Amino acid sequence: MNIVEVENLTKIFSASGKSGAVKALDGVTLSVGEGTIFGLLGPNGAGKTTLVKILLGIVRPTSGNAKLLGEDVSHYKIKSRVGYLPENHKFPNFLTGEGVMKYFGELAGMKKSEIENRIDPLLSLVKMKKWKRTKIKSYSKGMMQRLGIAQALINNPDVIFLDEPTDGVDPIGRKEIRDILLKLKNEGKTIFLNSHLLSEIEMVCNSIAILNKGKLIREGTVEEITTTKEIYDFEIAEGSATDILAKFGTAYSLVAKGNAAFSGKFDDVDRLNSFIDSMRGAGVLIKSVVPKKVSLEDMFISVIEDSEGGKNE
Amino acid sequence: MNNVWTISKLTFREAFSRKIFLFFAGISTFLLLVFLAVFLFTDVAALFGSVKINGKELSGSNPAVAAIKLFILNPLYGFGLFLAIFSSASFIPHMLEKGNIDLLLSKPISRRQLILGKFFGGVAVVFVNVFYLVFGLWLMIGYGLGDWSVDFLLASLVITFVFALLYSLMILLGIVSRSSVLAMMISYLVFLILSPVLSSREIISTFLNSEIFSAVMNFFYYVVPQTSDLGSILNSIALGNPIESYSPIIVSLAFIVAAIEFSVFVFSKKDY
Repeated sequence: MNIVEVENLTKIFSASGKSGAVKALDGVTLSVGEGTIFGLLGPNGAGKTTLVKILLGIVRPTSGNAKLLGEDVSHYKIKSRVGYLPENHKFPNFLTGEGVMKYFGELAGMKKSEIENRIDPLLSLVKMKKWKRTKIKSYSKGMMQRLGIAQALINNPDVIFLDEPTDGVDPIGRKEIRDILLKLKNEGKTIFLNSHLLSEIEMVCNSIAILNKGKLIREGTVEEITTTKEIYDFEIAEGSATDILAKFGTAYSLVAKGNAAFSGKFDDVDRLNSFIDSMRGAGVLIKSVVPKKVSLEDMFISVIEDSEGGKNE
Repeated sequence: MNNVWTISKLTFREAFSRKIFLFFAGISTFLLLVFLAVFLFTDVAALFGSVKINGKELSGSNPAVAAIKLFILNPLYGFGLFLAIFSSASFIPHMLEKGNIDLLLSKPISRRQLILGKFFGGVAVVFVNVFYLVFGLWLMIGYGLGDWSVDFLLASLVITFVFALLYSLMILLGIVSRSSVLAMMISYLVFLILSPVLSSREIISTFLNSEIFSAVMNFFYYVVPQTSDLGSILNSIALGNPIESYSPIIVSLAFIVAAIEFSVFVFSKKDY
Protein backbone atom coordinates (compact mmCIF):
# COMPACT_ATOMS: atom_id res chain seq x y z
CA MET A 1 0.00 0.00 0.00
CA ASN A 2 1.19 3.49 -0.79
CA ILE A 3 1.15 5.72 2.25
CA VAL A 4 1.66 8.89 0.24
CA GLU A 5 0.31 9.36 -3.27
CA VAL A 6 0.75 12.59 -5.12
CA GLU A 7 -0.45 13.08 -8.66
CA ASN A 8 0.31 16.04 -10.88
CA LEU A 9 0.45 18.33 -7.86
CA THR A 10 0.89 22.03 -8.55
CA LYS A 11 1.01 24.90 -6.10
CA ILE A 12 1.16 28.50 -7.18
CA PHE A 13 1.50 31.10 -4.44
CA SER A 14 -0.27 34.22 -5.57
CA ALA A 15 1.59 37.48 -5.90
CA SER A 16 2.12 39.57 -2.81
CA GLY A 17 3.77 42.98 -2.82
CA LYS A 18 6.29 43.49 -5.58
CA SER A 19 6.99 39.82 -6.20
CA GLY A 20 5.03 37.93 -8.83
CA ALA A 21 3.26 34.59 -8.48
CA VAL A 22 5.56 31.75 -7.43
CA LYS A 23 5.16 28.22 -8.73
CA ALA A 24 6.33 26.23 -5.73
CA LEU A 25 5.33 22.84 -7.15
CA ASP A 26 4.97 22.03 -10.83
CA GLY A 27 3.09 18.83 -11.68
CA VAL A 28 4.77 16.62 -9.09
CA THR A 29 3.83 12.93 -9.12
CA LEU A 30 5.30 10.50 -6.60
CA SER A 31 4.40 7.77 -4.16
CA VAL A 32 5.85 6.47 -0.91
CA GLY A 33 5.37 2.84 0.08
CA GLU A 34 4.54 1.55 3.53
CA GLY A 35 7.38 0.95 5.95
CA THR A 36 10.00 2.93 4.08
CA ILE A 37 12.16 5.88 4.97
CA PHE A 38 11.67 8.31 2.13
CA GLY A 39 14.07 11.23 1.71
CA LEU A 40 13.01 14.36 -0.10
CA LEU A 41 15.99 16.33 -1.34
CA GLY A 42 16.36 19.62 -3.08
CA PRO A 43 18.06 22.99 -2.80
CA ASN A 44 16.45 25.83 -0.84
CA GLY A 45 13.17 26.91 -2.42
CA ALA A 46 12.80 23.62 -4.32
CA GLY A 47 9.29 23.06 -2.91
CA LYS A 48 10.07 20.35 -0.32
CA THR A 49 8.32 22.00 2.60
CA THR A 50 5.39 23.04 0.40
CA LEU A 51 4.90 19.40 -0.61
CA VAL A 52 4.91 18.26 3.02
CA LYS A 53 2.56 21.07 4.03
CA ILE A 54 0.11 20.11 1.28
CA LEU A 55 0.16 16.52 2.51
CA LEU A 56 -0.66 17.79 6.00
CA GLY A 57 -3.40 20.19 4.91
CA ILE A 58 -1.43 23.26 5.99
CA VAL A 59 -1.19 24.52 2.40
CA ARG A 60 -3.91 24.01 -0.22
CA PRO A 61 -2.84 22.70 -3.64
CA THR A 62 -3.65 24.78 -6.72
CA SER A 63 -4.30 21.63 -8.75
CA GLY A 64 -3.65 17.90 -8.67
CA ASN A 65 -4.36 15.21 -6.12
CA ALA A 66 -2.67 14.31 -2.87
CA LYS A 67 -3.57 11.30 -0.75
CA LEU A 68 -2.28 10.32 2.65
CA LEU A 69 -2.97 6.84 4.03
CA GLY A 70 -5.41 6.35 1.16
CA GLU A 71 -7.51 9.40 2.02
CA ASP A 72 -7.65 12.79 0.39
CA VAL A 73 -5.49 15.22 2.41
CA SER A 74 -8.46 17.55 2.94
CA HIS A 75 -9.88 15.01 5.45
CA TYR A 76 -8.35 16.41 8.61
CA LYS A 77 -9.25 13.41 10.79
CA ILE A 78 -6.72 11.25 8.96
CA LYS A 79 -4.06 13.27 10.77
CA SER A 80 -4.70 11.30 13.95
CA ARG A 81 -2.42 8.71 12.29
CA VAL A 82 0.25 11.23 11.34
CA GLY A 83 3.20 12.72 13.23
CA TYR A 84 4.96 15.92 12.17
CA LEU A 85 8.05 17.79 13.18
CA PRO A 86 8.23 21.09 11.28
CA GLU A 87 11.44 22.99 10.73
CA ASN A 88 11.91 25.71 13.38
CA HIS A 89 8.92 24.54 15.35
CA LYS A 90 7.58 26.62 18.24
CA PHE A 91 5.99 24.98 21.24
CA PRO A 92 4.18 27.08 23.86
CA ASN A 93 7.20 28.09 25.94
CA PHE A 94 5.30 28.15 29.22
CA LEU A 95 4.88 24.37 29.06
CA THR A 96 7.26 21.73 30.37
CA GLY A 97 8.46 18.89 28.16
CA GLU A 98 5.77 16.72 29.68
CA GLY A 99 3.20 19.47 29.13
CA VAL A 100 4.07 19.65 25.44
CA MET A 101 3.58 15.92 25.10
CA LYS A 102 0.21 16.06 26.90
CA TYR A 103 -0.99 19.02 24.86
CA PHE A 104 -0.17 17.51 21.48
CA GLY A 105 -1.45 14.12 22.61
CA GLU A 106 -4.80 15.72 23.46
CA LEU A 107 -4.86 17.52 20.11
CA ALA A 108 -4.17 14.21 18.40
CA GLY A 109 -7.39 12.92 19.98
CA MET A 110 -5.74 10.53 22.46
CA LYS A 111 -7.17 9.47 25.80
CA LYS A 112 -5.46 10.78 28.94
CA SER A 113 -4.36 7.30 30.04
CA GLU A 114 -2.85 6.59 26.59
CA ILE A 115 -0.93 9.85 26.72
CA GLU A 116 0.37 9.15 30.22
CA ASN A 117 1.55 5.70 29.14
CA ARG A 118 3.50 7.03 26.17
CA ILE A 119 5.20 10.08 27.65
CA ASP A 120 7.99 8.39 29.63
CA PRO A 121 8.95 5.79 27.00
CA LEU A 122 9.07 8.43 24.29
CA LEU A 123 11.04 10.93 26.36
CA SER A 124 13.43 8.11 27.25
CA LEU A 125 13.75 7.22 23.57
CA VAL A 126 14.93 10.75 22.76
CA LYS A 127 16.93 10.97 26.01
CA MET A 128 14.83 13.78 27.47
CA LYS A 129 13.16 12.05 30.40
CA LYS A 130 15.13 13.82 33.09
CA TRP A 131 14.09 17.19 31.63
CA LYS A 132 10.39 16.41 31.45
CA ARG A 133 9.40 18.72 34.30
CA THR A 134 11.61 21.58 33.10
CA LYS A 135 9.99 24.48 31.25
CA ILE A 136 10.98 24.29 27.61
CA LYS A 137 12.03 27.94 27.46
CA SER A 138 15.29 26.80 29.06
CA TYR A 139 15.84 24.00 26.49
CA SER A 140 18.68 24.17 23.95
CA LYS A 141 18.05 23.82 20.20
CA GLY A 142 19.10 20.20 20.28
CA MET A 143 16.79 19.45 23.22
CA MET A 144 13.90 21.10 21.38
CA GLN A 145 14.58 18.89 18.36
CA ARG A 146 14.56 15.78 20.52
CA LEU A 147 11.33 16.86 22.19
CA GLY A 148 9.93 17.66 18.73
CA ILE A 149 10.60 14.11 17.59
CA ALA A 150 8.98 12.69 20.74
CA GLN A 151 5.98 14.97 20.15
CA ALA A 152 5.69 13.70 16.57
CA LEU A 153 5.49 10.14 17.93
CA ILE A 154 3.04 10.73 20.79
CA ASN A 155 0.03 9.36 18.88
CA ASN A 156 1.91 6.28 17.66
CA PRO A 157 1.53 7.47 14.06
CA ASP A 158 1.68 5.28 10.96
CA VAL A 159 3.49 7.96 9.01
CA ILE A 160 5.92 10.55 10.34
CA PHE A 161 7.00 13.71 8.55
CA LEU A 162 10.29 15.11 9.77
CA ASP A 163 11.60 18.40 8.44
CA GLU A 164 15.31 18.78 9.20
CA PRO A 165 15.12 16.60 12.33
CA THR A 166 18.84 16.81 13.09
CA ASP A 167 19.02 20.58 12.80
CA GLY A 168 21.00 21.90 15.78
CA VAL A 169 21.77 18.42 17.08
CA ASP A 170 25.37 17.41 17.83
CA PRO A 171 26.99 14.46 15.97
CA ILE A 172 26.23 11.97 18.75
CA GLY A 173 22.64 13.17 18.87
CA ARG A 174 22.39 12.84 15.08
CA LYS A 175 23.52 9.24 15.30
CA GLU A 176 20.92 8.61 18.01
CA ILE A 177 18.20 10.17 15.84
CA ARG A 178 19.26 7.98 12.90
CA ASP A 179 18.99 4.94 15.16
CA ILE A 180 15.49 6.04 16.22
CA LEU A 181 14.46 6.37 12.57
CA LEU A 182 15.73 2.89 11.77
CA LYS A 183 13.96 1.49 14.83
CA LEU A 184 10.70 3.12 13.71
CA LYS A 185 11.16 1.71 10.24
CA ASN A 186 11.60 -1.76 11.72
CA GLU A 187 8.31 -1.23 13.55
CA GLY A 188 6.65 -0.72 10.17
CA LYS A 189 6.35 3.06 10.32
CA THR A 190 6.69 5.14 7.19
CA ILE A 191 9.01 8.11 7.53
CA PHE A 192 9.06 11.08 5.20
CA LEU A 193 12.31 12.93 5.72
CA ASN A 194 13.29 16.40 4.53
CA SER A 195 16.95 17.08 5.11
CA HIS A 196 19.87 19.00 3.72
CA LEU A 197 22.28 16.51 5.23
CA LEU A 198 22.74 14.20 2.25
CA SER A 199 25.06 11.84 4.08
CA GLU A 200 22.33 11.19 6.63
CA ILE A 201 19.73 10.62 3.95
CA GLU A 202 22.10 8.17 2.30
CA MET A 203 22.55 6.30 5.58
CA VAL A 204 18.90 5.87 6.51
CA CYS A 205 16.65 6.26 3.47
CA ASN A 206 15.39 3.43 1.27
CA SER A 207 14.17 5.68 -1.46
CA ILE A 208 14.61 9.30 -2.34
CA ALA A 209 13.25 11.97 -4.64
CA ILE A 210 14.91 15.15 -5.77
CA LEU A 211 12.98 18.33 -6.32
CA ASN A 212 14.30 21.41 -8.03
CA LYS A 213 12.31 24.56 -8.73
CA GLY A 214 9.10 22.72 -7.96
CA LYS A 215 9.75 19.84 -10.36
CA LEU A 216 10.53 16.25 -9.54
CA ILE A 217 13.77 15.54 -11.35
CA ARG A 218 14.80 12.14 -9.99
CA GLU A 219 13.17 9.40 -7.95
CA GLY A 220 14.30 5.94 -6.93
CA THR A 221 16.10 3.87 -4.32
CA VAL A 222 19.38 5.18 -2.96
CA GLU A 223 21.10 2.24 -4.69
CA GLU A 224 19.58 3.09 -8.06
CA ILE A 225 20.31 6.75 -7.82
CA THR A 226 23.90 6.49 -6.63
CA THR A 227 24.83 3.81 -9.16
CA THR A 228 25.94 5.06 -12.54
CA LYS A 229 24.83 3.06 -15.54
CA GLU A 230 27.75 3.99 -17.76
CA ILE A 231 30.92 3.66 -15.70
CA TYR A 232 32.31 0.33 -14.43
CA ASP A 233 35.31 -0.44 -12.27
CA PHE A 234 37.43 -3.39 -13.35
CA GLU A 235 39.95 -5.40 -11.43
CA ILE A 236 42.15 -7.93 -13.16
CA ALA A 237 43.81 -10.96 -11.58
CA GLU A 238 46.98 -10.91 -13.68
CA GLY A 239 48.84 -8.31 -15.73
CA SER A 240 48.71 -4.54 -15.38
CA ALA A 241 46.14 -1.90 -16.09
CA THR A 242 48.71 -0.07 -18.25
CA ASP A 243 48.85 -3.04 -20.62
CA ILE A 244 45.07 -3.15 -20.91
CA LEU A 245 44.93 0.57 -21.64
CA ALA A 246 47.64 0.18 -24.29
CA LYS A 247 45.78 -2.66 -25.94
CA PHE A 248 42.16 -1.42 -25.75
CA GLY A 249 42.48 2.26 -24.89
CA THR A 250 41.97 3.40 -28.46
CA ALA A 251 38.72 1.44 -28.97
CA TYR A 252 37.25 2.07 -25.49
CA SER A 253 37.26 4.96 -23.03
CA LEU A 254 39.41 3.60 -20.17
CA VAL A 255 41.18 5.23 -17.22
CA ALA A 256 43.79 3.52 -15.04
CA LYS A 257 43.00 3.48 -11.32
CA GLY A 258 45.88 1.48 -9.97
CA ASN A 259 48.24 -1.34 -10.85
CA ALA A 260 45.52 -3.88 -11.59
CA ALA A 261 42.48 -1.64 -11.64
CA PHE A 262 40.92 0.65 -14.19
CA SER A 263 37.53 2.05 -15.07
CA GLY A 264 35.70 2.23 -18.36
CA LYS A 265 32.80 4.23 -19.72
CA PHE A 266 30.32 2.39 -21.96
CA ASP A 267 27.29 3.75 -23.76
CA ASP A 268 25.32 0.54 -23.33
CA VAL A 269 25.50 -3.03 -22.02
CA ASP A 270 26.31 -4.46 -25.47
CA ARG A 271 29.45 -2.40 -25.70
CA LEU A 272 30.41 -3.38 -22.14
CA ASN A 273 30.03 -7.07 -23.04
CA SER A 274 31.94 -6.62 -26.26
CA PHE A 275 34.85 -5.13 -24.23
CA ILE A 276 34.73 -8.01 -21.77
CA ASP A 277 34.74 -10.50 -24.68
CA SER A 278 37.74 -8.74 -26.18
CA MET A 279 39.64 -8.90 -22.90
CA ARG A 280 38.73 -12.54 -22.37
CA GLY A 281 39.76 -13.26 -25.95
CA ALA A 282 43.14 -11.69 -25.20
CA GLY A 283 43.48 -14.02 -22.19
CA VAL A 284 42.94 -11.39 -19.51
CA LEU A 285 41.70 -12.88 -16.24
CA ILE A 286 39.01 -10.57 -14.89
CA LYS A 287 38.62 -10.49 -11.11
CA SER A 288 35.65 -8.14 -10.81
CA VAL A 289 33.41 -5.79 -12.77
CA VAL A 290 31.43 -3.39 -10.57
CA PRO A 291 29.16 -0.55 -11.61
CA LYS A 292 30.69 2.63 -10.28
CA LYS A 293 28.90 4.23 -7.33
CA VAL A 294 28.94 7.92 -6.58
CA SER A 295 28.13 9.57 -3.28
CA LEU A 296 24.64 10.95 -2.91
CA GLU A 297 26.16 14.40 -2.58
CA ASP A 298 28.03 14.13 -5.91
CA MET A 299 24.97 12.73 -7.60
CA PHE A 300 22.75 15.44 -6.10
CA ILE A 301 25.01 18.24 -7.31
CA SER A 302 25.26 16.65 -10.75
CA VAL A 303 21.50 16.18 -11.06
CA ILE A 304 20.74 19.73 -9.95
CA GLU A 305 23.32 21.13 -12.40
CA ASP A 306 21.92 19.00 -15.21
CA SER A 307 18.38 20.20 -14.49
CA GLU A 308 19.58 23.78 -14.65
CA GLY A 309 21.33 23.25 -17.97
CA GLY A 310 24.83 22.56 -16.63
CA LYS A 311 27.25 24.60 -14.56
CA ASN A 312 28.29 27.99 -15.95
CA GLU A 313 26.26 27.56 -19.07
CA MET B 1 -15.66 19.42 20.97
CA ASN B 2 -12.63 17.93 22.77
CA ASN B 3 -10.34 19.89 20.47
CA VAL B 4 -12.15 23.16 21.21
CA TRP B 5 -11.78 22.41 24.92
CA THR B 6 -8.04 21.65 24.55
CA ILE B 7 -7.37 24.88 22.63
CA SER B 8 -9.49 26.85 25.13
CA LYS B 9 -7.49 25.39 28.02
CA LEU B 10 -4.23 26.32 26.36
CA THR B 11 -5.43 29.85 25.67
CA PHE B 12 -6.31 30.09 29.34
CA ARG B 13 -2.87 28.82 30.33
CA GLU B 14 -1.26 31.17 27.81
CA ALA B 15 -2.99 34.10 29.51
CA PHE B 16 -1.84 32.75 32.86
CA SER B 17 1.76 32.32 31.74
CA ARG B 18 1.94 35.74 30.18
CA LYS B 19 0.87 37.19 33.53
CA ILE B 20 -2.30 38.55 31.89
CA PHE B 21 -4.45 36.56 34.24
CA LEU B 22 -2.40 37.51 37.28
CA PHE B 23 -2.39 41.17 36.24
CA PHE B 24 -6.20 41.18 36.04
CA ALA B 25 -6.52 39.25 39.28
CA GLY B 26 -4.09 41.68 40.96
CA ILE B 27 -6.09 44.72 39.86
CA SER B 28 -9.36 43.06 40.90
CA THR B 29 -7.95 42.13 44.31
CA PHE B 30 -6.62 45.67 44.80
CA LEU B 31 -10.06 47.12 43.97
CA LEU B 32 -11.76 44.67 46.30
CA LEU B 33 -9.41 45.67 49.12
CA VAL B 34 -10.06 49.37 48.47
CA PHE B 35 -13.82 48.80 48.62
CA LEU B 36 -13.45 46.63 51.70
CA ALA B 37 -11.65 49.50 53.41
CA VAL B 38 -14.40 51.89 52.28
CA PHE B 39 -17.07 49.56 53.66
CA LEU B 40 -15.20 48.99 56.92
CA PHE B 41 -14.06 52.52 57.73
CA THR B 42 -16.73 54.80 56.25
CA ASP B 43 -20.49 55.17 56.40
CA VAL B 44 -21.13 53.89 52.85
CA ALA B 45 -24.86 54.59 52.96
CA ALA B 46 -24.27 58.23 53.84
CA LEU B 47 -21.33 58.57 51.42
CA PHE B 48 -23.21 57.31 48.39
CA GLY B 49 -26.75 58.14 49.50
CA SER B 50 -26.53 61.73 48.39
CA VAL B 51 -24.99 61.01 44.98
CA LYS B 52 -26.77 62.67 42.06
CA ILE B 53 -26.33 61.81 38.41
CA ASN B 54 -26.99 64.62 35.96
CA GLY B 55 -28.46 66.58 38.86
CA LYS B 56 -31.00 63.88 39.66
CA GLU B 57 -31.11 61.62 42.67
CA LEU B 58 -31.02 57.92 41.89
CA SER B 59 -34.30 56.10 41.97
CA GLY B 60 -35.01 52.83 43.80
CA SER B 61 -35.49 51.71 47.34
CA ASN B 62 -31.85 52.27 48.25
CA PRO B 63 -30.15 55.11 46.31
CA ALA B 64 -26.84 54.42 48.06
CA VAL B 65 -26.76 50.87 46.70
CA ALA B 66 -27.63 52.10 43.22
CA ALA B 67 -24.92 54.77 43.39
CA ILE B 68 -22.23 52.39 44.56
CA LYS B 69 -23.14 49.87 41.84
CA LEU B 70 -22.83 52.50 39.14
CA PHE B 71 -19.67 53.85 40.75
CA ILE B 72 -18.14 50.38 40.45
CA LEU B 73 -19.58 49.13 37.17
CA ASN B 74 -18.93 52.07 34.87
CA PRO B 75 -15.15 52.21 35.44
CA LEU B 76 -15.06 48.42 35.36
CA TYR B 77 -16.83 48.44 32.00
CA GLY B 78 -14.55 51.07 30.47
CA PHE B 79 -11.16 50.38 32.01
CA GLY B 80 -11.67 46.63 32.38
CA LEU B 81 -12.55 46.17 28.74
CA PHE B 82 -9.70 48.48 27.72
CA LEU B 83 -7.27 46.17 29.52
CA ALA B 84 -8.97 43.03 28.22
CA ILE B 85 -8.59 44.18 24.59
CA PHE B 86 -4.96 45.07 25.20
CA SER B 87 -4.11 41.71 26.72
CA SER B 88 -5.98 39.47 24.29
CA ALA B 89 -5.05 41.17 21.00
CA SER B 90 -2.03 38.92 20.48
CA PHE B 91 -3.80 35.57 20.97
CA ILE B 92 -4.56 35.04 17.27
CA PRO B 93 -1.39 36.56 15.72
CA HIS B 94 0.63 34.47 18.17
CA MET B 95 -1.23 31.32 17.12
CA LEU B 96 -0.51 32.12 13.46
CA GLU B 97 3.27 32.38 13.93
CA LYS B 98 5.31 30.09 11.71
CA GLY B 99 6.32 26.93 13.52
CA ASN B 100 3.27 27.15 15.77
CA ILE B 101 0.42 27.13 13.27
CA ASP B 102 2.11 24.35 11.25
CA LEU B 103 2.03 22.10 14.27
CA LEU B 104 -1.57 22.91 15.14
CA LEU B 105 -2.79 22.33 11.58
CA SER B 106 -0.91 19.03 11.37
CA LYS B 107 -3.15 17.64 14.11
CA PRO B 108 -6.62 16.15 13.58
CA ILE B 109 -8.29 19.43 14.39
CA SER B 110 -10.35 21.56 12.03
CA ARG B 111 -9.66 25.21 11.47
CA ARG B 112 -13.14 26.00 12.84
CA GLN B 113 -12.26 24.19 16.08
CA LEU B 114 -9.04 26.19 16.36
CA ILE B 115 -10.89 29.50 16.05
CA LEU B 116 -13.65 28.45 18.45
CA GLY B 117 -11.08 27.21 20.97
CA LYS B 118 -9.27 30.54 20.88
CA PHE B 119 -12.58 32.40 21.17
CA PHE B 120 -13.93 30.49 24.16
CA GLY B 121 -10.53 30.43 25.87
CA GLY B 122 -10.17 34.22 25.62
CA VAL B 123 -13.74 34.80 26.78
CA ALA B 124 -13.22 32.43 29.73
CA VAL B 125 -10.13 34.37 30.86
CA VAL B 126 -12.10 37.61 30.98
CA PHE B 127 -15.20 36.04 32.54
CA VAL B 128 -13.28 34.48 35.43
CA ASN B 129 -11.62 37.78 36.27
CA VAL B 130 -14.74 39.91 35.90
CA PHE B 131 -16.81 37.45 37.92
CA TYR B 132 -14.19 37.40 40.69
CA LEU B 133 -14.42 41.19 41.04
CA VAL B 134 -18.19 41.44 40.64
CA PHE B 135 -18.83 38.55 43.04
CA GLY B 136 -16.51 40.10 45.65
CA LEU B 137 -18.29 43.44 45.37
CA TRP B 138 -21.68 41.74 45.51
CA LEU B 139 -20.70 40.10 48.81
CA MET B 140 -19.59 43.47 50.22
CA ILE B 141 -22.77 45.22 49.10
CA GLY B 142 -24.81 42.38 50.56
CA TYR B 143 -23.07 42.34 53.92
CA GLY B 144 -22.58 46.11 54.10
CA LEU B 145 -25.88 47.39 52.78
CA GLY B 146 -28.15 44.34 52.92
CA ASP B 147 -28.79 44.31 49.17
CA TRP B 148 -28.52 40.74 47.90
CA SER B 149 -30.02 41.37 44.48
CA VAL B 150 -28.57 38.82 42.04
CA ASP B 151 -29.08 41.27 39.18
CA PHE B 152 -25.71 42.75 40.05
CA LEU B 153 -24.04 39.42 39.36
CA LEU B 154 -25.49 39.47 35.84
CA ALA B 155 -23.23 42.45 35.21
CA SER B 156 -20.31 40.02 34.89
CA LEU B 157 -22.15 38.28 32.05
CA VAL B 158 -22.89 41.55 30.27
CA ILE B 159 -19.27 42.74 30.51
CA THR B 160 -18.05 39.35 29.29
CA PHE B 161 -20.57 39.51 26.44
CA VAL B 162 -19.23 42.92 25.37
CA PHE B 163 -15.72 41.53 25.50
CA ALA B 164 -16.82 38.54 23.39
CA LEU B 165 -18.22 41.01 20.86
CA LEU B 166 -14.95 42.95 20.62
CA TYR B 167 -12.88 39.79 20.77
CA SER B 168 -14.73 38.30 17.78
CA LEU B 169 -13.75 41.45 15.87
CA MET B 170 -10.14 41.07 17.05
CA ILE B 171 -10.09 37.43 15.92
CA LEU B 172 -11.28 38.43 12.47
CA LEU B 173 -8.72 41.24 12.23
CA GLY B 174 -6.00 38.95 13.58
CA ILE B 175 -6.75 36.26 10.99
CA VAL B 176 -6.85 38.76 8.12
CA SER B 177 -3.86 40.91 9.10
CA ARG B 178 -1.84 38.74 11.55
CA SER B 179 -1.22 42.02 13.38
CA SER B 180 -2.05 42.36 17.05
CA VAL B 181 -1.50 46.13 16.87
CA LEU B 182 -4.08 46.58 14.10
CA ALA B 183 -6.59 44.33 15.88
CA MET B 184 -6.13 46.33 19.06
CA MET B 185 -6.33 49.77 17.41
CA ILE B 186 -9.52 49.00 15.51
CA SER B 187 -11.14 47.49 18.59
CA TYR B 188 -10.32 50.62 20.58
CA LEU B 189 -11.64 52.75 17.74
CA VAL B 190 -14.95 50.87 17.81
CA PHE B 191 -15.22 50.73 21.59
CA LEU B 192 -14.13 54.25 22.46
CA ILE B 193 -15.18 56.34 19.44
CA LEU B 194 -17.42 54.73 16.81
CA SER B 195 -19.94 53.06 19.08
CA PRO B 196 -20.53 56.10 21.36
CA VAL B 197 -20.84 58.35 18.28
CA LEU B 198 -23.24 56.00 16.49
CA SER B 199 -25.24 55.54 19.67
CA SER B 200 -25.83 59.30 19.66
CA ARG B 201 -26.74 59.34 15.95
CA GLU B 202 -30.21 60.74 16.52
CA ILE B 203 -28.87 63.77 18.39
CA ILE B 204 -26.17 64.29 15.73
CA SER B 205 -28.73 63.98 12.92
CA THR B 206 -30.91 66.75 14.37
CA PHE B 207 -27.96 69.13 14.07
CA LEU B 208 -26.99 68.09 10.53
CA ASN B 209 -30.53 67.73 9.18
CA SER B 210 -29.55 65.37 6.33
CA GLU B 211 -31.51 62.25 5.42
CA ILE B 212 -28.56 60.66 3.64
CA PHE B 213 -26.33 61.24 6.63
CA SER B 214 -29.00 59.76 8.93
CA ALA B 215 -29.31 56.69 6.70
CA VAL B 216 -25.53 56.21 6.64
CA MET B 217 -25.33 56.62 10.42
CA ASN B 218 -28.18 54.12 10.86
CA PHE B 219 -26.46 51.61 8.58
CA PHE B 220 -23.22 51.80 10.51
CA TYR B 221 -25.06 51.69 13.81
CA TYR B 222 -26.33 48.21 12.92
CA VAL B 223 -23.06 46.83 11.53
CA VAL B 224 -20.61 48.22 14.10
CA PRO B 225 -20.58 46.52 17.53
CA GLN B 226 -23.01 48.40 19.78
CA THR B 227 -20.82 48.51 22.87
CA SER B 228 -22.17 51.86 24.02
CA ASP B 229 -25.77 50.67 24.09
CA LEU B 230 -24.70 47.48 25.85
CA GLY B 231 -23.14 49.73 28.51
CA SER B 232 -26.58 51.26 29.11
CA ILE B 233 -28.10 47.78 29.35
CA LEU B 234 -25.40 46.90 31.90
CA ASN B 235 -26.50 49.78 34.13
CA SER B 236 -30.15 48.80 33.80
CA ILE B 237 -29.46 45.18 34.72
CA ALA B 238 -27.25 46.06 37.66
CA LEU B 239 -29.85 48.41 39.08
CA GLY B 240 -32.66 45.95 38.52
CA ASN B 241 -34.37 48.24 36.01
CA PRO B 242 -36.14 46.82 32.94
CA ILE B 243 -34.17 46.69 29.69
CA GLU B 244 -35.65 49.20 27.25
CA SER B 245 -34.54 47.43 24.07
CA TYR B 246 -33.03 44.02 23.41
CA SER B 247 -31.95 45.11 19.95
CA PRO B 248 -28.28 45.78 20.92
CA ILE B 249 -28.04 42.28 22.40
CA ILE B 250 -29.53 40.62 19.32
CA VAL B 251 -27.45 42.70 16.88
CA SER B 252 -24.28 42.01 18.91
CA LEU B 253 -24.98 38.30 19.01
CA ALA B 254 -25.44 38.33 15.24
CA PHE B 255 -22.18 40.27 14.91
CA ILE B 256 -20.29 37.68 17.00
CA VAL B 257 -21.63 34.79 14.91
CA ALA B 258 -20.91 36.63 11.63
CA ALA B 259 -17.38 37.66 12.70
CA ILE B 260 -16.48 34.14 13.86
CA GLU B 261 -17.95 32.54 10.72
CA PHE B 262 -16.11 34.98 8.46
CA SER B 263 -12.90 34.36 10.43
CA VAL B 264 -13.33 30.61 9.88
CA PHE B 265 -13.97 31.19 6.17
CA VAL B 266 -10.86 33.38 5.72
CA PHE B 267 -8.75 31.05 7.90
CA SER B 268 -9.79 28.00 5.88
CA LYS B 269 -8.69 29.67 2.64
CA LYS B 270 -5.23 30.64 3.87
CA ASP B 271 -1.94 28.80 3.46
CA TYR B 272 0.56 28.74 6.30
